[in-house]
Amino acid sequence: MESAADVGSLPRDGQSFRRRLIGFIAIGEVGVLAAMALLIVFFWLLEPAFLSERNIRAILNVVSFVGIIAIGQTVLLVAGEFDLSVGSVAGLSAVVAAKLMTVAALPVTVAILGGIGVGALIGLVNGLIVVRLGIPAFIQTLGMLFIGQGLIQVVTGGYPVYPLPEAINTIGGADLAFGLGWSFAFFIVAAIVADFVLRRTVLGRNFYATGGNREVARLVGINTSAYKIGAFIVVGALAAIAGMFVMADLGSGGTSIGSGWELTVIAGVVVGGVSLFGGAGTVAGGVVGILMLKVVQSGLVVIGVNSNWQQIAVGVIMVMAVGLDILRRRYFIAGA
Amino acid sequence: MSNAAQEPLLSAIAIAKSFGGVQALRGVDFDVVPGEIHALLGQNGAGKSTLVKILNGVHPAGSYSGAIKLDGRPVSFASPAAARSNGVGYVPQEIEVLEQLSVAENVFAGRTGLGDGALVHQRKLEQRAGEIFADLGIGIDPRAYVASLTSAQRHLVMIARAIVMKPRVLMLDEPTASLSGTEVDALFAVLRRLKTQGVAMIYITHRLPEVLAICDRATVLRDGQVAVRIAREDFDAETFIFSMSGQRLQRLFPEHTAPAGAPTALEVRNLTVAGHSGAVHGAKDINLSVAAGEIVGLAGLLGSGRSEILHGIYGRVPAEGEIRVAGDPVAIGSPGNARAAGIALLTEDRKRDGLLFNLPVGANITIGNLAPLSRRGVVRGGLERSSILAAMRALNVKASSPQASVSHLSGGNQQKLLFARVLMRAPKVLLLDEPTKGVDAATRHEIYRLVVDLAEKGVGLLIVASELEELIGLCDRCLVVADGRIVDEFGRGEGGEDRVLRSVTAAQAERHASQVSP
Repeated sequence: MESAADVGSLPRDGQSFRRRLIGFIAIGEVGVLAAMALLIVFFWLLEPAFLSERNIRAILNVVSFVGIIAIGQTVLLVAGEFDLSVGSVAGLSAVVAAKLMTVAALPVTVAILGGIGVGALIGLVNGLIVVRLGIPAFIQTLGMLFIGQGLIQVVTGGYPVYPLPEAINTIGGADLAFGLGWSFAFFIVAAIVADFVLRRTVLGRNFYATGGNREVARLVGINTSAYKIGAFIVVGALAAIAGMFVMADLGSGGTSIGSGWELTVIAGVVVGGVSLFGGAGTVAGGVVGILMLKVVQSGLVVIGVNSNWQQIAVGVIMVMAVGLDILRRRYFIAGA
Repeated sequence: MSNAAQEPLLSAIAIAKSFGGVQALRGVDFDVVPGEIHALLGQNGAGKSTLVKILNGVHPAGSYSGAIKLDGRPVSFASPAAARSNGVGYVPQEIEVLEQLSVAENVFAGRTGLGDGALVHQRKLEQRAGEIFADLGIGIDPRAYVASLTSAQRHLVMIARAIVMKPRVLMLDEPTASLSGTEVDALFAVLRRLKTQGVAMIYITHRLPEVLAICDRATVLRDGQVAVRIAREDFDAETFIFSMSGQRLQRLFPEHTAPAGAPTALEVRNLTVAGHSGAVHGAKDINLSVAAGEIVGLAGLLGSGRSEILHGIYGRVPAEGEIRVAGDPVAIGSPGNARAAGIALLTEDRKRDGLLFNLPVGANITIGNLAPLSRRGVVRGGLERSSILAAMRALNVKASSPQASVSHLSGGNQQKLLFARVLMRAPKVLLLDEPTKGVDAATRHEIYRLVVDLAEKGVGLLIVASELEELIGLCDRCLVVADGRIVDEFGRGEGGEDRVLRSVTAAQAERHASQVSP
């Protein structure tokens, strides 16, 4: 593998067992996959219904919505920034698209493009303000989280947009295979494309350089501002798409679409080994992280744990994962 | 006035210290008496900072051999705090202030309770700081926020912070590096006042006019030993220069002669680089040219503007002027433009702006050079790997594989890796900022060899290096930079380290004379 991210991949030449072991653990995805496998077995032993078709379908369906955003968030984190406004952007884009296709009576395709446009535009604004004005991404995107929530209320007046054109219900209700619909298909395709871009292309390598050390990237001729702004736009557009898939799934432009997603998405990709410090992680890792988070949540429901404890579990897992990430950095990306 | 008769307040006896096999100090004796300003001189790497760090406890007792005596009694400092509580104060060269706090709070940083309890006595702090400033003749409002101060005022705040502890020995490391002429005057007034109070001061500087102006005695270090001790009666710029340069271990440099009549590789006209944040560092109206196959050195002190010239040419910092590569004008403004024109830059600080610690060895070499190794934006894995291996072999980069982490490489291998990165695009002009900083002797020699090989292939090289011996031995021509201007130029064999030091001193004396009122 020539991938940028596998800093500590398996050395080919015969080296000590210890180094090989460390190298193996260093691959972000391996640890999460192993942990997830253990958890799945654990939940299945306690409650065989955990691996029922219905439950697996439910998990994958939820993962597809947040997963679409996680793809963008991973690219943005690799470029050295992050976005807390994704949930608001998802909700706002959904209700705007809903209004466009109902009140403005625009064709469904145009309305959907309008929704994606809203998401991309917010991403552009976030990117420009963070990169050009130097306002930290935390502040800018937290501000945008509130602005987006307010705009949702302004656009809808507080009432869900309903009913939606029949085409939307058709998209939402489609069953392509195994009871999974268009959102899952989009999620898989987007994840494969994004993973390939980060792993194999010049564009991807330049993202890693930008997030790893912006000054070094600039000195080797990379337009780091363009990369960061571009990543913000990608996140915004993907959040919009995820929001509209949820709208299609629900059959209405609800005002609570996307609410609270921002933290789930960041928690998930961080669990999957994407570094909050920039320059490290893969889309595959981020997606696996989200999947693991949802497996835990679902598993706790299935074995009948009180919902309050589910929240606690998510918190504990995220902190542990970040702790592991910091340990990995200390061993493999020392520098200091 | 001579203080030779007085008992030394602080003395160091036969201090020796080595860093991983490199002997930094080889048996140095040094002392300072009350009411004396004692200059500590020497070139970069002579051992000045090592000695000072031992005297103020940064290098703790036990990490060196020899003895320190205070008032004739042996002492050993485990930390800078221990040195401070024994009355040994230190003002470092870098400004370390808490920007968000007031001047008074900075002066009393770490002791804002003034010894009685957990509460901060804001008014008392301001009053006490005000008294100290009045005593020293410093005109800064103790209530002002440090963020609003100039770098010179910040330096004065740091000196006040050291003085609050009522030190009997005060060490000042390059205190005028960021000061202008009038500010230097103000600092000197403060030092003279401390002198009358009997404080013993150790004054580290590169600026000989200041030594002549204020110091009572001077000790010159060279290669970790005391080269000479000079009393004020015998002060003379020539003597200092002679003893600082002297004869050192001869290094072998590969033979090279600049080709006669070669076309110009790099031409710089009226290049001006702004200094940052009020400091004098920057460059003004620089004119220079480098022929294809020529090695040109920029000699000068730290902060003289030599690195800024390289950064300006490369478009790393905003600059104005005209730059031509092989006769074609280059749009100044971004590293991308410079690279496209065939200019490459090797930066000074590998950790800060050289290596990407999140990428493995191979990707560190190819970053920025991927265009020819990819098809329609997709990196061709096999081609990338083979070109990485070829580059590693050509430059003798020792790493277990292209996938190895760069943080495990030695300094020398890291430097060769960065050479591999900048050479991958076959530049016409190569700018090198301290190319041998922090590398071992063997790699150093490999780098000299590489520089000469590149010149023989027709690359024009412009090099900044602090070690004058290296620069003079390697370069076909040296330009001397002082205060952001080129003040002297000489060819191979036309001058040595002494010539550089003399030109710099002459330029500084001129500036001193024009800015300091008599």
